[in-house]
Amino acid sequence: MTAHPLDVLIVEDEALLAEELSFLVREAGLRDVGHAMSSAEAVDLACKLTPDLALVDVHLKDGPTGIDAARLIVEDCGAVVLFMTANVKRLPDDFAGACGVIGKPYSEHAVKTALAYLEICLREGHAPGPPPLGLALAPRFRELWGGGLAETG
Amino acid sequence: MTQPPDEGSAGAGADASDRASDRALEAALADKTALLHEVDHRVKNNLQLIASLILLQSRRTADETARMALKTVLERVTAVATVHRRLFQGDPLRFDVADFVRDLAGDLAAAAGRDDLTIALELDPVAIPASAAAPFALVVNELLGNSLKHAFPAGRSGRIRVALSNGGERCRLTISDDGIGRQGQPAGFGSTIVQLLCQQLHAELEISDAQPGVLAVVTVPMSLPATPLRTTP
Repeated sequence: MTAHPLDVLIVEDEALLAEELSFLVREAGLRDVGHAMSSAEAVDLACKLTPDLALVDVHLKDGPTGIDAARLIVEDCGAVVLFMTANVKRLPDDFAGACGVIGKPYSEHAVKTALAYLEICLREGHAPGPPPLGLALAPRFRELWGGGLAETG
Repeated sequence: MTQPPDEGSAGAGADASDRASDRALEAALADKTALLHEVDHRVKNNLQLIASLILLQSRRTADETARMALKTVLERVTAVATVHRRLFQGDPLRFDVADFVRDLAGDLAAAAGRDDLTIALELDPVAIPASAAAPFALVVNELLGNSLKHAFPAGRSGRIRVALSNGGERCRLTISDDGIGRQGQPAGFGSTIVQLLCQQLHAELEISDAQPGVLAVVTVPMSLPATPLRTTP
């Protein structure tokens, strides 16, 4: 349980969205370690920078490749992935190994509360309660982090 | 080939052309569906882009008045964006108001940053036509935003109640607070937005002094006389 801020990689092909997301990440007390716009760049950076969390859009510069990129980031680079996408319906049932999704368009508040919630999940290995509005967890992570649900309601 | 020859010769040609036109129709439908998803995706992304532009601009704005104005614009854009995130989740022509209000109330309460205010939600499941969703969302945004911003000066705690009830033909939205009341505040652009959109929605709007606080009641028809997929007459 280290106190250093969690490292976050932003995978988003819209430069202005990535820029604003970077502010939100830092305001949530996390560290923005890098931005990727394509799937290859995303996997490369994820393995090089070993972030704790990668925020991944489904639609990237090279097409709807975010899902495959997420799978590689989870399996080969060991990061937890959170999808941030307008394509929620496009996600496979297993979320490609990602922990969950925030649907676009998201609000500033939704992102901040989701990041705060995920930080606790990642640090403590279980959820502090049900996920905040706007964040949907993948089935596997609901099970993995669900330990706290019984205590907090 | 397994068919008896007397039925086969005439039927096979017709079947084959039926199948071909079925396939063409299916392909055309699949194309249209893909296009619709693409448009939906672009609308959502562009709304996100607009919100990001406003936020980035506001981060670079030192003047407090200008920053507040940008924040207000962002809240209105966010209300419309929230509508789009929730559209097409179930019935594409209907919009679930209760879920939306829950979502919006969370955003507005967080933006207000007031732990000393309670928002009580009493929401019946109500669905309005999708074409009414954005104007209705803006009305809720203004009325609830008003209570959050003006009813409780710093240091005064209180309670805001948002109720939604299903009256069959019409649904009724009630937003009330136990704050300081209107106190002769001049009507701002927010009131203009509410009045114009209530006219557009054929909704009845009643705002009164509740002593303490303000009581706003909006009664909206659950189906619109206009064609369902158009937003403007």
